[in-house]
Amino acid sequence: MINIDVNGRPLEVEPGTTILQAAQKAGISIPHLCYHNALPPEGSCRMCLVQIDGYPKLELACSTTVKEGMKILTNSSVVKDARKSVLEFLLAEHPPDCPICDKAGECKLQDYYEEYGLFESHYAESKSRKPKQIELGNNLLLDRERCILCTRCVRFLAHITKTGELGVTERGIKAEIDIYPDNPVSNNYSGNLAEICPVGAITDRDFRFKTRSWFLEEKPSICPLCSRGCAITIAFHPGFTRFDLPQRVYRIKARENQAVNGAWICDIGRYGYSFMDENRASKIRLPEDGGETDWNQAVDYLSEKIMRLVHMKRTDRIAVTVSTFLSNEELYLIKKIFHEDLGISKIYFVDPSEGSGDELLLTEERTPNRRGAIEIGFEIIPPNQEALAETTDIIFVFGNGINDQVENAVEEGIKPIDLKVLMSAHKSAAAERFDCVLPMSLTAEKSGSLTNVDGLVQAFIPALEPLGDSRPLWAILTDLGRKMAIDFKTYRKFSSTADIYRELSREIPFFRK
Amino acid sequence: MDEKILTSDFGVEDSHTLAVYRKRGGYKALSKALKKMKPDDILAEVKAAHLRGRGGAGFPAGMKWDFIPKETEKPKYLCVNADEGEPGTFKDRYIMSHAPHMLLEGIMLTCFCVGIQTAFIYIRGEYEHVARRLEAAIEEARKEGLCGSNILGSGFDCEVIVHRGAGAYICGEETALLESLEGKRGNPRLKPPFPAVVGLFQCPTVINNVETLSNIPSIVLHGGKWFSGLGLPEDGGTRIFGISGMVAKPGVYELPVGTSLKEIIFTHAGGMLKGKALKAVIPGGMSAPVLKADEIDLTMDCHCMLEADSMLGSSAIIVIDQDTPMLEVLRIMIKFYSHESCGQCTPCRIGTSWIHKIVQRLCRGEGRREEIDEISRLASNILGKTLCPMGDAAAMPILSIIAKFRGELEATVEERRTEIQ
Repeated sequence: MINIDVNGRPLEVEPGTTILQAAQKAGISIPHLCYHNALPPEGSCRMCLVQIDGYPKLELACSTTVKEGMKILTNSSVVKDARKSVLEFLLAEHPPDCPICDKAGECKLQDYYEEYGLFESHYAESKSRKPKQIELGNNLLLDRERCILCTRCVRFLAHITKTGELGVTERGIKAEIDIYPDNPVSNNYSGNLAEICPVGAITDRDFRFKTRSWFLEEKPSICPLCSRGCAITIAFHPGFTRFDLPQRVYRIKARENQAVNGAWICDIGRYGYSFMDENRASKIRLPEDGGETDWNQAVDYLSEKIMRLVHMKRTDRIAVTVSTFLSNEELYLIKKIFHEDLGISKIYFVDPSEGSGDELLLTEERTPNRRGAIEIGFEIIPPNQEALAETTDIIFVFGNGINDQVENAVEEGIKPIDLKVLMSAHKSAAAERFDCVLPMSLTAEKSGSLTNVDGLVQAFIPALEPLGDSRPLWAILTDLGRKMAIDFKTYRKFSSTADIYRELSREIPFFRK
Repeated sequence: MDEKILTSDFGVEDSHTLAVYRKRGGYKALSKALKKMKPDDILAEVKAAHLRGRGGAGFPAGMKWDFIPKETEKPKYLCVNADEGEPGTFKDRYIMSHAPHMLLEGIMLTCFCVGIQTAFIYIRGEYEHVARRLEAAIEEARKEGLCGSNILGSGFDCEVIVHRGAGAYICGEETALLESLEGKRGNPRLKPPFPAVVGLFQCPTVINNVETLSNIPSIVLHGGKWFSGLGLPEDGGTRIFGISGMVAKPGVYELPVGTSLKEIIFTHAGGMLKGKALKAVIPGGMSAPVLKADEIDLTMDCHCMLEADSMLGSSAIIVIDQDTPMLEVLRIMIKFYSHESCGQCTPCRIGTSWIHKIVQRLCRGEGRREEIDEISRLASNILGKTLCPMGDAAAMPILSIIAKFRGELEATVEERRTEIQ
C-alpha cells in the first residue's frame, strides 16, 4: 500500500491507483469531463488538474499514478483558478442551449459551472456556428456546437465495441467528431454513446424532447432481456397529479457492475423498455365474475379447483407451463407447489426462441433465468399440445412476463381442457382462449433474484409499482400455497422473496454461495 | 576560422552524393565504430560530448539514449525528427539537402549504439525534394553496404525508412510524431510513459533531431572531449543558427555554442538591412520569448537563454526591425498557433482561437487597449495547463511580447481604432 495525503487527509491506496481514483474512493470529488472510469484516460479536457507538492506544474488527476508520500491539493486557489479557466474556455464556444438541451440537469459542464465556475462571460467574439443535427447512425444525433471534444464516444467505439465508427477530423477549433463517409454508427451498443457524452452533444432520438431529466426518478434493476443479467437503472416519471402521462419509463441506463456488464448495456436492453408500459394486462378475469373480482377471490377460486382434483386423487390431470423469465424464487415456488405438494410431473417450459449473441454482452438466450431453472431442478422441455389436451383438466400458463409469446403455448389443441388459467403481464389475443386471466408484475415491479448465464445469482428490488391489479407471481403463489394448506406451515413463513430464497438456498447447495 | 562540423561540405559540388561525402572523410566514423568500438564506447563519447538536442528542448542526447531499456524483448526504434515546423527554422533542410549521408551515418552510429535495427526519418511533407534526396542517399548507401543488412561486414543490420508528414506543426512534437508514424491522427500522447520506454508501436524509441544526429559522426571520429571543447562545458559543439528577418545576410551559420547573439546578427549576418533599426529578436524559433534590442548581449546556449527568460529552441533567430508593428507580429504568431493547434486539449484549442479572434479585431481597429490584458490573461490560462508543450509554445511568446511591448501595442490599437472612426 502507498501512503498519500489529499487536502491534508492521509490516505492509504493500492499501488497503481491514479490520484482521481484514490480521491473518489475517499469521497473527494475532482471534476473531470474526458475521463471515464471504463475507458483509457485521455487527459484532454484539463478539468482534473491538481496540485502536487514539489511538482512545477499542475498535474492530471486522471492519469497520474500515486507515489509514496505524494501530497496533493485538489482545492487550492491555483487549482480552482485552473478549473475556472478550463470552464471559461469550454463555455466560450458553448451554445446557451440549456433550456432546450436534453442533457440539462445531468450535464457535467452545467454542473461544474454551478460548482466551480459562476463567472461572467468575457467572451466578446461571435461563437462558431456548427451543424446541430448530424445523423450518426442508429438512434444518435450529434450537435457539434455542444461537443467539447472529450472523445469519450471515439474511445468507447475504439476500445469497447472495437467498431471504430467515430473519429476526430479537422484540427484546432475546427476539430470535430465525425463518422467515416457512408459508415454510420451501427453496433448494438450505440446507446451508450448518448449516455457517456458528458454534455448534450450526442443525444438519442428515443429520449430527445420527451421529458426533462429532473422529472425522472431512478431505481436500480436487472435487464431481463437476455441471460447476461446486466445491471440497469430504470428512469421513470413518477407522474403528475392532474393528468396522466403516456408512459412511466422514459429510459434505461447502464449501471456499473464490474462482475457482469462493466459500465455498458446493449441497445436491446436499453431501448426495449416499452413492454413495461404498453399493452399491459391489468385486470383479473375469472369465469362469470361479472367484472368485479379481487385477488382473494381469484386465489380462492384456483385453490378450490386444484383441491377438488387433489381430493379425487386426480392431480395428474393438472399441467403447468412456465417460462424462464420467472425469478429463482418463483420457479422454486412452482416446483414446490406443483411438483412436490401436488405431485404434478407435467411441467413444461415456453421460452422465446434464441437470438444471436455477440462477444460483448448479449447472449443467445433471450431470457434471464434459464440457468436458475436448471439449477432448481427443472428439465427445460416444451409442452406437447395434443397429449396435453387429452390428459389435462386444468392447465396453468405462466406467461413469460415480457410480451405476447404465450400464444405459442396455447394452440387450438388445448381448447378441450376444462380450466385454462393464464398469468401474464401483457394482454394478448391468446388470452381470449383462457377461462381465467391474472395480471402479473414484471421483473422491474417486483423483488427476487435471477441466475445469469455464468451462474451468478443477482438479487433485484422493485423499481416500479405493479401496474393496475398486477401482482408479483411469488406473492400469488405464496397465497395459493397457504390457501391450499397442504403445507401451510411453509408458506406461512414466506412474507418476502428473501424468505423464499433462504428456503431455496437451504435446499439447493448451488444457491448457497 | 571556427571549426565546421555540419556545414563544411555545404557548397561543395555534389556534396549530397556518397562519392563526394566519402572522399571528404565520410563513413570513417561508422567504419571505426563497427570495427573498433563497442556500443557503450559510443555512448560514453556522446555523453562526454555534452551534445544537447538541437530540436528545441535541448535535452542531453547521451542521457536520452541511456533511458532506453537494455533488457527488452521488443524491437527498439529510432525516429529522426525532420519535421522542422517551428517558424523561422530551416537548418535541418540544409543538412539533409547538402549532407544527407552525414545524417545517415549519424543514424547508423546511433542505432549501433542503442541496439536499433529500424530507423524512421519523419520529414515534413513540404520537403518533398529533400525526402527524395534522402531516399536516393539511402539507396546509394545500401549498394555500398553502409545501410541494410550486415553493414560493412560487421553483422550489424539497420534499415532506414523515410516517412513524409502531411503538413501539421503538431507532428513535430515527439509523441504526435509517433502517432502520425503509426498511421493515426497526429495527436500528442499523455506522458508518462515516455517514448524511451513506450514509443513507436509501443516499443522503446529514441527520437532525435536531424542536427543532433548529424553531429554523431564527428563525435565518434574525434571524441566527445574534442566536441565538447568546441562549445561550452555543459553544452558542447557547434550549432547551425538560421537567421531570418531584416538582416543583410539571412541564412544558416554554423558557430560554436555560446556565440554571442549580437555577434551573430551584427557580424555574421551582416547587421541590419540598410535603413532598418533593430527592435526585437526571437532567438530560438517563434515559440521562444522575444528579446528587446537592448537585451541581445547574450550567448546562444541553452543555459544563458533560459536565464534571460527565453530559450535557445531550434536556434532560429528572427530579427524584427523598428518598422514592424509588434501587433502584426502578435497577429501572425497567434494565427499560426491557432491554425496549428491539434484541438485535442481545451486550453490550446479554444484559447488560441479566442486570442486570435481578439487580435484580429484589434488589428482591424475594432478593439480597446484594455483587451491586451485580456489576451495576457488568456495566454496565462493556456501556459502550463495543456497536454503537450505546444500550449506553452503559443503562450510564452505572446506573454513576452505583451510584457515587453505593451506601450507600443496599446498605441497601435488606439491608432487603428482612430483610423476607422
